[in-house]
Amino acid sequence: MNLSFVLRLAWRDWRGGELGLLVIALMVAVGTVTAVSLFVDRLHQALIDESSDFLAADRYIGSGQAIPDDFRNAALARGLDISDTMLFPSMVFVGDDKNQLVSVKAVDGGYPLRGTLKTADVPFTPGSPTTDLPAAGEVWLDSRLFPALGVSLGDTIEVGFAALRVGRVLTQEPDRGGSMYDLGPRLLMRMADVPATQVVQPGSRISYRLLLRGEDSQLEALKDELPLEPNFWWRGIRESSPSIGSALDRAESFLLLGGLLGVLLAGVAVALSAHRYARRHYDHVGILKTLGATPNQILIGYLMLLFAIGTVAVSLGLIIGGLLHLAIVAILQSLIPMALPMPSARPWLLGAATGFICSLAFALPPLIHLRNISPMRVIRRDIGAAPPSQIISYGAAAAGSLGLLIWYSGSLRLTAYTLIGTLGVMLLFGVLATLLLRGGRVIGMQAGSGWRLALAGLQRRRRENTAQIMIFGLAIMLLLILFLLRTSLLDEWRNQVPESAPNHFILNISPADVASIDSMIAGVSDQKGGLYPMIRGRVIEANGVAAEEWEKRVRPQGGDGPRLRSGRNLTWAADPPEDNRIVDGEWWSADETRALVSLEDDYARDLGLSVGDTLTFDIAGEIVEVEISNLRHLDWESMRPNFFIIFSPSVLEDFPATYMTSFFLEPDKKQFLNDLLAKHPTITVIEVDAIIAQLRSIIARVSQAVELILSLVVASGCLVLIASIQASRDARMSEHALIRALGGTRKLIAGSLAAEFAVLGLFAGIVAVVGAEVTVAILQSQVFELKMNAHPWLWLVGPFGGAGLILLVGMLGTRSLISSPPIIVLRGLN
Amino acid sequence: MDRVVIKTADVDKIVPTAEGELTILDAIDLEINAGEAIAIVGASGSGKTTLLGILAGLDLPTSGTVVLGGAELTALNEEERAIVRGQQVGFVFQTFQLLGSLTALENVMLPGELRGEASAADDARELLTKVGLGARMGHYPRQLSGGEQQRVAIARAFASRPKVLFADEPTGNLDTVTGAKVIDLLFDLNAEFETTLVLVTHDDRIAARCQRIVEIDAGRIIS
Repeated sequence: MNLSFVLRLAWRDWRGGELGLLVIALMVAVGTVTAVSLFVDRLHQALIDESSDFLAADRYIGSGQAIPDDFRNAALARGLDISDTMLFPSMVFVGDDKNQLVSVKAVDGGYPLRGTLKTADVPFTPGSPTTDLPAAGEVWLDSRLFPALGVSLGDTIEVGFAALRVGRVLTQEPDRGGSMYDLGPRLLMRMADVPATQVVQPGSRISYRLLLRGEDSQLEALKDELPLEPNFWWRGIRESSPSIGSALDRAESFLLLGGLLGVLLAGVAVALSAHRYARRHYDHVGILKTLGATPNQILIGYLMLLFAIGTVAVSLGLIIGGLLHLAIVAILQSLIPMALPMPSARPWLLGAATGFICSLAFALPPLIHLRNISPMRVIRRDIGAAPPSQIISYGAAAAGSLGLLIWYSGSLRLTAYTLIGTLGVMLLFGVLATLLLRGGRVIGMQAGSGWRLALAGLQRRRRENTAQIMIFGLAIMLLLILFLLRTSLLDEWRNQVPESAPNHFILNISPADVASIDSMIAGVSDQKGGLYPMIRGRVIEANGVAAEEWEKRVRPQGGDGPRLRSGRNLTWAADPPEDNRIVDGEWWSADETRALVSLEDDYARDLGLSVGDTLTFDIAGEIVEVEISNLRHLDWESMRPNFFIIFSPSVLEDFPATYMTSFFLEPDKKQFLNDLLAKHPTITVIEVDAIIAQLRSIIARVSQAVELILSLVVASGCLVLIASIQASRDARMSEHALIRALGGTRKLIAGSLAAEFAVLGLFAGIVAVVGAEVTVAILQSQVFELKMNAHPWLWLVGPFGGAGLILLVGMLGTRSLISSPPIIVLRGLN
Repeated sequence: MDRVVIKTADVDKIVPTAEGELTILDAIDLEINAGEAIAIVGASGSGKTTLLGILAGLDLPTSGTVVLGGAELTALNEEERAIVRGQQVGFVFQTFQLLGSLTALENVMLPGELRGEASAADDARELLTKVGLGARMGHYPRQLSGGEQQRVAIARAFASRPKVLFADEPTGNLDTVTGAKVIDLLFDLNAEFETTLVLVTHDDRIAARCQRIVEIDAGRIIS
C-alpha cells in the first residue's frame, strides 16, 4: 500500500463519516492545548511583567553592604539594565522644633526599571505618573510628611548635614510593597546627594539594592555567575512579595491542572473514537486481506493513515487553537488592560506534540490490532475479532498520559497526584459501577416497560456499560474537580483580601495617645483591627547556648532563613490572634503567670526550636528568660499584623511599649491622615491600600483565566461524552432496530434510551462525586495548600447533573437511531 | 503447466470448545484441476465453509497440507499467504462484503489499487460495464439492491484476474430470480476468464451447473 492509496482510503473514510470523530477529537485536543497554552503563556508573561512593577525591576540583588562594581560590570556585560538604590532610616529636621524619622530611598538615573512613580503637588491626592526623578538638591516627600513636618512645596528640610528642597509630593512608588516593616514615611532623593548628608557611616543600617532588567535567560545566567552567598541575596517577585508570588503559583498550578485534565479528556475521546473506528474496520481489513493485503501492508497502511490524520488534525488544531486564543483575548480585552506580549514558541510545540502523542498513545493501539484480524472473518463473522490487548492499550495510554502530563506541567508531584488519583478512582469506579448495575437490575424488575427494557439493556451489556460509567464518571469527575478547585481558589483569594480589610496601619503609638487615636479612627471607620503592644528585643540564648553558637549548630552551612540574633518586634497577648492556628503545644490561660512565649512554626523549625525549649531575650537592656509554650501557623498573605514571637502578658506588661493598630479607610477620606498626623506627629502611618488594590487586580485577572480554562475543559469533557456515546451507538442501534422490527414503538425505544442514558448518567454522577471529593481533598491539602472541606450539595448536583447531561448528549447523539426506519438499520448491519 | 491447481492432503480442522475438541474437517483429500468448476455441498454445519476458507488460504488446517497454484499454503505465514491470495484468488461472498464507505467503482478498483496498478480505474469501469452496472459506478453499496451489490462483488472478484474464484453461497441473500441472474453472470465470466471456480452452496440447481460436486457431511467428503 503506498501513501496515495492510503490517502485515497482515508479520504473515502472521511467522506463516509468514519473518521470524523477521530479527527475532531484530535483537533480539539490540539486546539484546546494550543489555545490554553497560548493564552496562559501570554497572560503569564504579562502577569510577570506587571508583577515586576512590585520590584521596580525584573530582579534585584540586595545586601547590607555596598554592591561591588564587579556585579554591575557583569550585569552590563550581559546586556542588562541596572539601577542602584539605597534605603536607610534617618531623622529629618525642619527648623529647631520639627523632626521626624523617615525612610530614605536614594536612587540614581534609570530608577524605576519597571513600573512608574506618581507625584502630585498637593498631599493626599492620587497624583499622576512621571518619568522624572528628584533633581540634584531636591527631595520628594510622602504625603504624610507634609503635616508631620509642617512643610509645603519649595521649603527646605535637613537630612543629616544637607539642606534639601522639597520638590514634589510622592504618592506612589512601585517597590513600596516589599515589606510592611519598611518603617517610616518615604523621602526620595538622588544618590549623588547622599555623601553631603554624611548619614552613611560605618555601621549604619543601610539596605543596598542593584535593580536589574533584561532577558530571563541572562538574568538567570547572572545569578549563577555572581558570588552571591552569603552577603548578597538575589530576589525576584516570588521571594520578595510572598502574597503575589503565592497567588501566581496557585494560578499557574490551577491552569496547568486544567490544561492537563483537558488533555486527558481529549485523549480519552481520541481513544474512544479510534477504538470505534478500528472496530468498524474489522470487516474492511478482512476484505482487504482476502484481496491480498498482507498484515504488514495493513499495519503500514494504518500507520500512514494515522500519521496523515494526525498531520491534518494537528495543523487544523493549531489554527483553531490560535484563532480560539485570539477570540479569548478579544473577549477579555476590556478586562485585561495590560498589553499581552507575543507568545513564545512553546505553546505551538506543545499543541503539535500533544496531537502526535495523543495519536500514538491513544489511537495507535487499536489500529495496530487491525493487522491481526483474520481474513476468515469475511465468511465467519464470529472469528478474528479478539479485542486489542488491554495491556498494550492501557499501557500506551498510561505512558502517553504520563509523558504529556510531565512535559506539560513540568511537575512530577502534580503529575503523580493526578495519575495516582485517576487510577485509584478508576478502580473504585469499576467496583461501584458493577454494584450499581446489579442494584439497578433488582429495581428494574418492578419498573415499567421502557425502564425495564433500559435496565435489561444495561444489565445485558454489563461490561460495556461498566466501562462507559467509568468514562462518563471520569469526565464528570474531572469537571467537578476543576469546578470545586476553582471555587475554593477564588474564595481563598477573595478572603485573602476582604473588601473591608484594614488598609492602613499605625505604629509607634505611645500609651498616652491610644485613647485619642482610637476615638479619631472611630469617627471615620467602623473597621478597626486589634491593638498590639510592640517592643524591640532580641534573642541572646537558646536553651542556655549563646544565640550565635546555636545558629551555627542548626545551620552549619549558613544559608537562608531567619536569624535568631536579629532584633525583632515583640508583642504580648492574652488570646491568640484570630487567624493564627496553634499547631503544637497549648496557648496560655488568661491568668497565666509563668514566662511563656509563642513562636511562628516555620521560624521555630528553621531555628531548630520546639515546645519546652527556653529562650533568653535582651529587651531594653533587661534579660528575660521564657519557655516556648506553643507554635502557631499563620497566614503571611493576610494583610494583618503578624508576629514571629508573642509573649504571655505577664512577662512584658511592665516594659515601656508603643502600640500598633490597623483600620480601614475609604479612599475618599484620605484627608483624615493629615488630621491624624497633625495631631499625633510621632506616630507612623503605613498606607497599604495601593498594595491591596494591586493585589486585587492581579487576583481578578488570574480568576478570569481560571474561568476560561474551566470552560475549555468542559468542552473537552462534552466531547468525551459524545465519543463515548458514539462508541456504543452501533450496539444500541442493532438492538433497537430489532426491537422495532418486532413491534416496539418509537416511543418505547425513545423512552428506553432516555431511561438508559439517565441511569448511566446517574450512576456516573455518583461515582464521579466520590472520586471528586477524594481527589479535591488530596489536591487541596497537598498541592494548593488550602483547607479541606466536604461539599454536601455535590451529592445532589453530581448524580442528577450527570443524569441530565448524559441524557441530553445521549439523546442528541442517537436522534437518527430513533428516527430512521428499522430496515435501514438492519440492512446497514450486514 | 500443472493441471492441478488445488491439492489437499489429509486436512483436519479441530477447534477447542467448552465441551472439548470439535472436529470440523476430517482427513480431507481433494484435487481440483485448472479451469474446473466444482461445487462443495452439504448441510449447515457440515464444514463446507471452513473447507473453502482453508482452500483459499484464509485459514489454516490443524494438520495436513494445502497447495494452491504451486504454493504450499500450510508452509507459509499469513504475510506470504496474503501475497498468494492477492495474486491467485478472487472471492464472492454470501453477504457481498463491499466496503460501505466506497462507491461501486472504488470497491472494484481495490484489488488493482492494492497491487499499485495504474489501470485499476479503467479495468474496474470495464468490469462494471460488463456486469451491467456501467450507469451506477458512483453509487454506494447502501444505494444498490442486493443483486446489484453482488454484481459489484463479482466484478471486484474478477478485477484481480484470479486463477481460482471462491464463491461462498453467492445467492444465499438473494431472491430466486435475482440469484439465477447472478449465477448466470458468474458462470459467464468464469468461462470468459477461464477461471477455476470453487463454489459452496446448498442449492442443488446451482451445484448441478458445476462439472463436479463434492459432498461433505460431518467434516468428511462422502462423494
